Amino acid sequence: MTAHVDTDVDPQAPPAQATWQSKLARAGLRALPHVGRWAAAIAGALLIFSILVSFKGANPIDVFGDMWTSTFSRSRSIGEIFIRMAPLALAALAVVVPARAGMINVGGEGQVIVGAVAAAGVGLATDQVLPGGVVLLLMAIAAILAGALWAGIAALLRLVFNVNEAVTTLLLNFVSLDLLLFLIYQPWRESPTQQPATRQLATEAQLPTLAATGVHVGIVVAVIAAVVLALALGRTRWGFRLAVVGGNPEAARRAGMPVTVLLLSALLVGGALAGLAGMIEFAGVETKLRPGFGTQIGYVGFLASWLARHKPVPVLIAAFTLAALAVGADSLQLDSGLPAATINILTALLLMAVLGWTAFRKKAA
Amino acid sequence: MQHRTLKTAFAALVAASALVLAACTPATDGTTPGTTADASGAPGTGGTAIGFITVGPKDDYGYNQAVIEASVIVGEAFPDMQILTAENIPEDDSAVATMEQMIDRGAKIIFATSYGHLDAAQKVAAAHPDVVVVQQGNAIAGEPGANIGTYFGTVYEPMYLAGIAAGAATETNVLGYVYAFPIPQTIANINAFIRGAQSVNPEATVVTVSTSSWCDPAAQREAANSLLSQGADVLTQHQDCTKTVIDAAEAAGVYTVGYHADASELAPAGWLTGAVWDWGPLYVDIVENITVGDFTGGPFNANYRVGYKTGTNPFVLAGYGPSVSAETIALIAEQQAWLGSDEGSPFLGPVLAQDGSEAVADGVIPSYDELDGMNYFVAGVIGNLAN
Repeated sequence: MTAHVDTDVDPQAPPAQATWQSKLARAGLRALPHVGRWAAAIAGALLIFSILVSFKGANPIDVFGDMWTSTFSRSRSIGEIFIRMAPLALAALAVVVPARAGMINVGGEGQVIVGAVAAAGVGLATDQVLPGGVVLLLMAIAAILAGALWAGIAALLRLVFNVNEAVTTLLLNFVSLDLLLFLIYQPWRESPTQQPATRQLATEAQLPTLAATGVHVGIVVAVIAAVVLALALGRTRWGFRLAVVGGNPEAARRAGMPVTVLLLSALLVGGALAGLAGMIEFAGVETKLRPGFGTQIGYVGFLASWLARHKPVPVLIAAFTLAALAVGADSLQLDSGLPAATINILTALLLMAVLGWTAFRKKAA
Repeated sequence: MQHRTLKTAFAALVAASALVLAACTPATDGTTPGTTADASGAPGTGGTAIGFITVGPKDDYGYNQAVIEASVIVGEAFPDMQILTAENIPEDDSAVATMEQMIDRGAKIIFATSYGHLDAAQKVAAAHPDVVVVQQGNAIAGEPGANIGTYFGTVYEPMYLAGIAAGAATETNVLGYVYAFPIPQTIANINAFIRGAQSVNPEATVVTVSTSSWCDPAAQREAANSLLSQGADVLTQHQDCTKTVIDAAEAAGVYTVGYHADASELAPAGWLTGAVWDWGPLYVDIVENITVGDFTGGPFNANYRVGYKTGTNPFVLAGYGPSVSAETIALIAEQQAWLGSDEGSPFLGPVLAQDGSEAVADGVIPSYDELDGMNYFVAGVIGNLAN
């Protein structure tokens, strides 16, 4: 079940009567250089990082060892990874869908924020009067609509005035931040004697957790969204048409495809996913809006999507990796005494290595 | 074919959702599993480490640097304790995760040092009754739990004194104030600063700009430029990292009043004075109190405040710049003694609010508690509290 869309013909296609063993062997051989490149890229990044860390007086082996222990052999950390991963994966999927149609959605950050704002607006207005489950549902709907609407502004500008959506989505991020600040400084501010923030969402209206793990259900939503998108992009007419528009809009137009509708739908679905990410972060983790709400979920999700080559299921792996790095960041400070920025260096090195040294097969984008 | 795939997927989805819902339990009171209650000892005792989280970097010429420097003094005073520091910890729920990482490394005492860390501090304290969390600068409403408290110095007192230097120095009668958030601590600083200035220069006004961040150099640069264009000839700030605004003032040839740290080396010409932190002694007192088991019900299990009146304000006046006259220095010394007396306060009534109404009646001195709730600007402040 992969979302991979191969549009060209493989010259080395096996003859029809080939056995599955030989097919597997061929596939393995073809993948080998690819896997090798990934391994080399990651190893190279870790090597450069080791050198930098040594200059800071830390032993790289200890640094990696402590980071691994702190992140993967501590139950609280594992839970923390899944909690952080959920909105990241959704924000990454918000980039995946427009990318399939050849568009770049840099506005995940803003769409996450307006999603959270809409969820907070609905949630805080109803959590005292309606049952928790209903409030959650209303918040999710509001967040999805708000995210889609926010992305819709960029879509409209693209379709009517042909303004590049990469620019408009990015600029709308700043507008959404101002909107958030206005609301928590003025109408929604809980207490004039505290840092500007809304009141807390009622406990019953917060996202439920999975059994006794302390992990909220956001991760399940993210996984379902990734699987559904993989099917929708890989197996439906809509997904196929998006890929055609992304590959060659003119060809799609001549083939009679509704290009405008397709482009619009891709951005709206993207915005909706990011909006949902905002709702999950609000109702699952933060439970109130603060000035720094969502710290960079949209931008990190953007990276996750590129890391996963804009494919829905690999996005989960990318989001997991970035979430694990974020959780491991504490270990760099607490165990190795390295500066807080160290984790950014490690993340950046890994991203540059993977994006730069592993082949980007354009046809699959 | 396509339809069958979709149908199968849909069925799988429904099944998966049902499973998930069955596995769900409603969120409880937010307590984290793995709570390590130790019934034998008092909260905060028996640890092997002390944790400090800061919202900004360790070397910010300001608030966070002062915390980290004092954590070193704590380490010297308690050589058996490991000092754990974590910088750049945001004022959101992720601070909880970092504090729990410290707890898992043996910390039973945690200093959550930014104003906005209070929510996270309260969450950690509730989930870990054996750990003491002390929060710097904010105030807990109502009765604090047995293992949490806040502490701070009366930051507005030295800012009142610095205001005297600013009021004496200004020629345009416009002072500029870059601040982060409209919270009582900041509002009291701005109000004290202008009242200090007006005590020597009744014409003085102060223009305020908020950046909505404790440290955002780009926003600080913009704010400083905006203040300079409005004619401000003394700039001061309530920011964690102070370099950008001070650099901007020095470059424009105007005066600077510093905050959090002595940055006179950044402004050799324009430096007037400033207020700097000396947290070491107070931190050591707090840790001492906790480790002997006296925290609960003690002075730090509350909103602990010290100032000139108690004689132990951890916020002290920095040195003077070359342009400050001997006359002004003498006046400031005199005023500092007055603030330390029972009759002195930057907010000794009558105090008029920005809109001209009476905020503090004639002859009244507001208490520290009342000032922790200050939510209005006084006369002479230009700007409003709504961002």
